[in-house]
Amino acid sequence: MTIRDKVQDFLQSQEDREVFREHEVKEFLRGFGINTPRGMFVPSGTAIPSTVSLSYPLVAKVVSSGISSKSDVGGVRLGIGNGDELRSAVTELSLMENGEGVLVEEMARPGFEVIVGGTTDITFGPIVMFGLGGFFVELFRDVSFALAPVTREQAVWLVGETKGGKVLKGFRGKPPLDIDAIADIIVTVSEVMATGLIRTIDLNPVALYLSGALVLDAKMSRL
Amino acid sequence: MTNLDSLFYPKSVALIGASATEEKLGGIVLKNLLGLKGRVYPVNPLYPELMGLKAYPSIRDLPETVDLSIVMRPAAEVPEILRQHAGKARFALIVSAGFAEIGASGLQEELAQIGRDAGVRLVGPNCLGIYNPCHGLDTMFLPHSCLKKPGKGNVAIVSQSGAVVVSLLEAVRRANIGVSKVCNYGNAVDLDAADVYEYLAGDPETRVVISYLESVGNGRRFIEAARLLGDVKPLVVLKAGKGTSGQKAAFSHTGRLAGSYEVFRSILRQFRVREAPDYDSLLDAAKALSCQRPAPGKRVCIITNGGGAGVLAADECMRAGLDVAPLPEPVKEILGSSFPPFYGLGNPIDLTGQVRTEDYRVALNGVRQTYDGFVIIALTAVAGVTLKLAEIVRDFRTEAGKPVVAHVAQGGISGKLTTLLEKSKIPVFPSPERAVRALAMLLRDVG
Repeated sequence: MTIRDKVQDFLQSQEDREVFREHEVKEFLRGFGINTPRGMFVPSGTAIPSTVSLSYPLVAKVVSSGISSKSDVGGVRLGIGNGDELRSAVTELSLMENGEGVLVEEMARPGFEVIVGGTTDITFGPIVMFGLGGFFVELFRDVSFALAPVTREQAVWLVGETKGGKVLKGFRGKPPLDIDAIADIIVTVSEVMATGLIRTIDLNPVALYLSGALVLDAKMSRL
Repeated sequence: MTNLDSLFYPKSVALIGASATEEKLGGIVLKNLLGLKGRVYPVNPLYPELMGLKAYPSIRDLPETVDLSIVMRPAAEVPEILRQHAGKARFALIVSAGFAEIGASGLQEELAQIGRDAGVRLVGPNCLGIYNPCHGLDTMFLPHSCLKKPGKGNVAIVSQSGAVVVSLLEAVRRANIGVSKVCNYGNAVDLDAADVYEYLAGDPETRVVISYLESVGNGRRFIEAARLLGDVKPLVVLKAGKGTSGQKAAFSHTGRLAGSYEVFRSILRQFRVREAPDYDSLLDAAKALSCQRPAPGKRVCIITNGGGAGVLAADECMRAGLDVAPLPEPVKEILGSSFPPFYGLGNPIDLTGQVRTEDYRVALNGVRQTYDGFVIIALTAVAGVTLKLAEIVRDFRTEAGKPVVAHVAQGGISGKLTTLLEKSKIPVFPSPERAVRALAMLLRDVG
């Protein structure tokens, strides 16, 4: 299956949705070998399956294509430690306006946060973006862009184009982070963007580790 | 691949809106066209003859199909005039303003359609057009008494803005360099930067292209043309309009971060197209690349007779990604045996206020093998610096075959020394930092 086929299949499964739901975007990404936390989607009005196979602590997030920033509206619960906490979190989040359900995931261990994104530029068409997460991006706009698609080599270059890219390579005696893993994600996002079928992709944040990377939040919309 | 020979080397030119006197724009351009190496047809229904040339009532009355027609009539008349161009002109250059730049996009789109239907390529509207000194072609409505244009040279200027192109023409002349082709394409209803880049890539007269841009239309086509041109000769781009706030997309974080300039800048870097951060840098790059060819490496040696100017140059090297590598010990020993003990034998090499001109020769010969590029700083308020320096630097560059730039200041003989150096293709800059940034344009491995 080509990338274009995969994207088209996904778009078909989404019918007339413009903005896709987090758990479905993550499933789509897993189809490209991108790692996300283990989790399950609990649609509004349904009970949490009794045989929860996830390991605590968990995180619960409201799922809605109408909410652009979940944490701004109080749609995220972190550090859920047991079944009682989980039930009350899911119940509360299910009642939120525009909520379509709740995504319950294993809480990721702390990593170095980065952003990988894609957008359709008015002049250049599909482009891919890399940036450092947290205050780096908010305060310094420390991001870099490239025409999509990019090769693996260009993806590594894109990381190095940010000022903060040096931190990833090992700073002040810290071991280097897994730049290969983030380059793989950049290449995939760029290839998905290059189909010309997607308006935006936001993987923010992606937790980067000494080995591997985990997409913690994912948004995507149709062109 | 667009062949723009008919535009840059027209064998025949029509001027719609030609006029009898240089009080009018149509008269200024007609006067300019008298120098054309080709046939000129003034078009104006009111006159049988203009400036000694037979005039025609309309383009339809011309005895041949012209390569280029220059249209200088009010915007409202242009669509009808353009319809008459079918079969009578290969290119129509629309000087007239009053189109998309004032919001009249519909009228401009009408031109595009007429051009396509008539099989005529369009330049403009709202532009000054073309200057090609090799061919005596000057479509710009600027009287010679107001603007003395540069002569023939190897720099091509491609500019969206007319005002910037005029300033660059004046500045290029003052910088003692000449131009191969100049094109101001204005609103770019048809011909745009990408078309001109493609043409200039194959233009033997052009060694370096400087380009002022505000927008590029089709970004993918632009970057492809820029990359192909950049593969064969240096292209330096100045992008104006850096302060945009990003594309409004409330949903997407990436969209909010993707300001049009940030994206443009990243993509230029992705395809290794050189960018000048500002006007001065664009001009300085033109001057440096007009005089010398880019070379590999990034190790720079600074030779100065003033400590402070040398430090400023070294600081700028650091910012520009150049390597001010220390002098190797053997070089230090050689120079130490030739120089007084109070000379600074580091990098910069400081020949101090007690310099003798010959010291520059000794220093340059000592470091020739070690470095990839050289900054010569000559402060002429001290007695030891003489005009002989121009000869020393020229000889050095001939032997070394590596980029050399200079900063000359402090009055006295500085004007004469600058002229002599620039005659020998050593570009001279008014500050240490500008000299260093120009050198960075000449060193390919700066990253």
